[in-house]
Amino acid sequence: MNRNPIKIGKLVRRTIFYLFIVTLAVSIILPAFFLVSLSFLSTRESYSYPLPLLPSLKTDYSLTHSDRGYLLSVYDKFDKEFQTVLDTAELKKMSVYMEAQIGTPYSIPEIEGRIAELENGTEDTVFFSARKNLLLNYTTFFAITRDAVPALLRSLQIAGLTILVSLSIGGMAGYAFARYVFAGRDALKFSVLFVRMFPGVAIALPMVIILSNMGFYDRPIGLTLVYSVGSIALTVWITASIFMGIPESLEEAAQVFGATKWQTFLRVTLPLALPGLAAAAMYTFLGAWTETVSAIILTQFNPTFPVVVYQSLLGAVGNVNLAAAGGLVLAIPSIIFTFFIRKYIQQMWGGVTI
Amino acid sequence: MATLSMQNVTKKFGRNVIAVKDFNLEVKEKEFLVLLGPSGCGKTTAMRMVAGLEEVTSGNIFIGDREVTELPPRKRNVSMIFQNYAVWPHMTVYDNIAFALKLKHMHKDELDKVVKETAGLAKIEMLLERFPSQLSGGQQQRVAVARAIAVNPDIFLMDEPLSNLDAKLRVSMRTELKAIHDKAGATTVFVTHDQSEAMSMADRIVIMKDGEVIQVGSPDDVYHRSRTIFVADFIGTPPTNFLDVSIKKESDGTHLVNPHLNLLLEDGMAKHFNSYKKEHLILGIRPENILLVDSEKSALSAKCLVSEPQGSHQVVAIQLDDNIIKAIAPAWPTIAPGTDVHLNFKQETLRFFDPDTTLAIND
Repeated sequence: MNRNPIKIGKLVRRTIFYLFIVTLAVSIILPAFFLVSLSFLSTRESYSYPLPLLPSLKTDYSLTHSDRGYLLSVYDKFDKEFQTVLDTAELKKMSVYMEAQIGTPYSIPEIEGRIAELENGTEDTVFFSARKNLLLNYTTFFAITRDAVPALLRSLQIAGLTILVSLSIGGMAGYAFARYVFAGRDALKFSVLFVRMFPGVAIALPMVIILSNMGFYDRPIGLTLVYSVGSIALTVWITASIFMGIPESLEEAAQVFGATKWQTFLRVTLPLALPGLAAAAMYTFLGAWTETVSAIILTQFNPTFPVVVYQSLLGAVGNVNLAAAGGLVLAIPSIIFTFFIRKYIQQMWGGVTI
Repeated sequence: MATLSMQNVTKKFGRNVIAVKDFNLEVKEKEFLVLLGPSGCGKTTAMRMVAGLEEVTSGNIFIGDREVTELPPRKRNVSMIFQNYAVWPHMTVYDNIAFALKLKHMHKDELDKVVKETAGLAKIEMLLERFPSQLSGGQQQRVAVARAIAVNPDIFLMDEPLSNLDAKLRVSMRTELKAIHDKAGATTVFVTHDQSEAMSMADRIVIMKDGEVIQVGSPDDVYHRSRTIFVADFIGTPPTNFLDVSIKKESDGTHLVNPHLNLLLEDGMAKHFNSYKKEHLILGIRPENILLVDSEKSALSAKCLVSEPQGSHQVVAIQLDDNIIKAIAPAWPTIAPGTDVHLNFKQETLRFFDPDTTLAIND
């Protein structure tokens, strides 16, 4: 009998635990799901209330006569009735509306066919449905945003260059911090972090001046330098702790057994440091890839991809579903890169740490 | 295989720290030489200078007739076994052993043959495809040994290779290392702070303290003919007992006297003081050379403080003022604490030390 209270206590604890986990999961997954779903909605769907959870795959239409020409109605799943969306005699306008607003490409000859059904048939209304082009938002986004594809390539270039610069400089500095004792080492290591204490916006103006003096304003190399400063700091700390974790005797052994310093680095130190370097590369990539604020300030005619997405959100183009599509395009390289690099971060040679 | 010669080698860290001071050493071909000393005595630094892992501040190092003082480690043709094994965790056992051979561009078939041969010698031929993380400490140690043998070095360096193993494995690895040394016929320098390890493995022992060589000799030499108080104290468990005594010349011969002790020296022993002018000396006597005797033959009588049975024998501790003397007695009869014990010494084993210089007088 006295087992019950214990069981109830356990049940309560478990329930709370799982509620907590589920809440956590939902709060992480829901926004991501929302973004993905939104990026597939048509313009009409994305401004309807309530917002559909999932994009529709096809749309039901009704077509009927009106005083001015034809009345086009769309079936609303929530209100369970047809809502008139267009009253026009121009077939071109109708076709454009169906594609741009509802996401269902429908050519003028197809519309003419439906009108012929209406004229020749006995009913005063014709019902038909059209399949939705799910990728329409993506094609539209790249079609109408200024510079989207070059901006994407530019962003990739900047992220790649930033990884290169910060891993080579930060990695070497990290190695020095880990292996050598010199005067002012701790102060220097701390001062490396110091640069991260200033938000990008705070130092944007001097950055603009410095970069334009260098001739790097509005060029990928300029942003690379700006991003590298911050990510070098992070790389130094990550790699220093990784190098510290590699026993010096492993390197010494390599040297005794015939390796030059360079061979020792390539064959022993580097492979052992790979997980740390991968982690540093990941942080650097994510930082450089998604950075927006400095990029807005430090570019003018050659924006990076996040800037383009930001501008599409701002109202220059003004459709939230297009911005969502852009946002997802922005997220995909980060996701791919993270999955790719995850392998190396998890990789620990036979499942054991050094 | 080759000889190793270190001439006036000094190593300073910074300006003031002298790790190794004017170090001179000749290691013979195929010799197993042990550098022994307490931690911080410079023995590891001395070895690392041979390997080229530390730069020499002054002095010269020769391997055979090659001077290697300024050469990088890879050009010295030495191999080393590290305290923490230092096997590379991202390589299989095979690759660990083959590492040095690949760097020498050895032909594949020959390389394969050498790796398998040395793995057999170290008894790890079934582990070749494993990663070090899948091996026990003892097995990793064997990988380190195989890796060191494979390169066929002039000199083997071993930096406390057994100290990370558990007590039982350590003793059995001693025997194996020694056997491998004999089989490979390699000139070996072995660093340890464990005197019993040194005693059981060494052809010769170099005892170091504060960066200086105190005594070089066979295990017998350093044990029975310790050159200083430090050596007599450092070697042996329990260590040598020390007694402050004064020299009294009387009609029946020379006596060594202190408030507890009155020892009449046998004829041969007194000649050691012929050139010794001081009145006091420090008497050193190993525990196994103290005899429990009847009261009339006693040189020293006191109460037993405690007796530690060891199975084959017992260690009897006797308190003299603030000094504890330990003697080894037969296991039977057991001596109860508080019993009066009468001691005498095997006189030919006595060591006499100058209290000022701590050097032995009788040599």
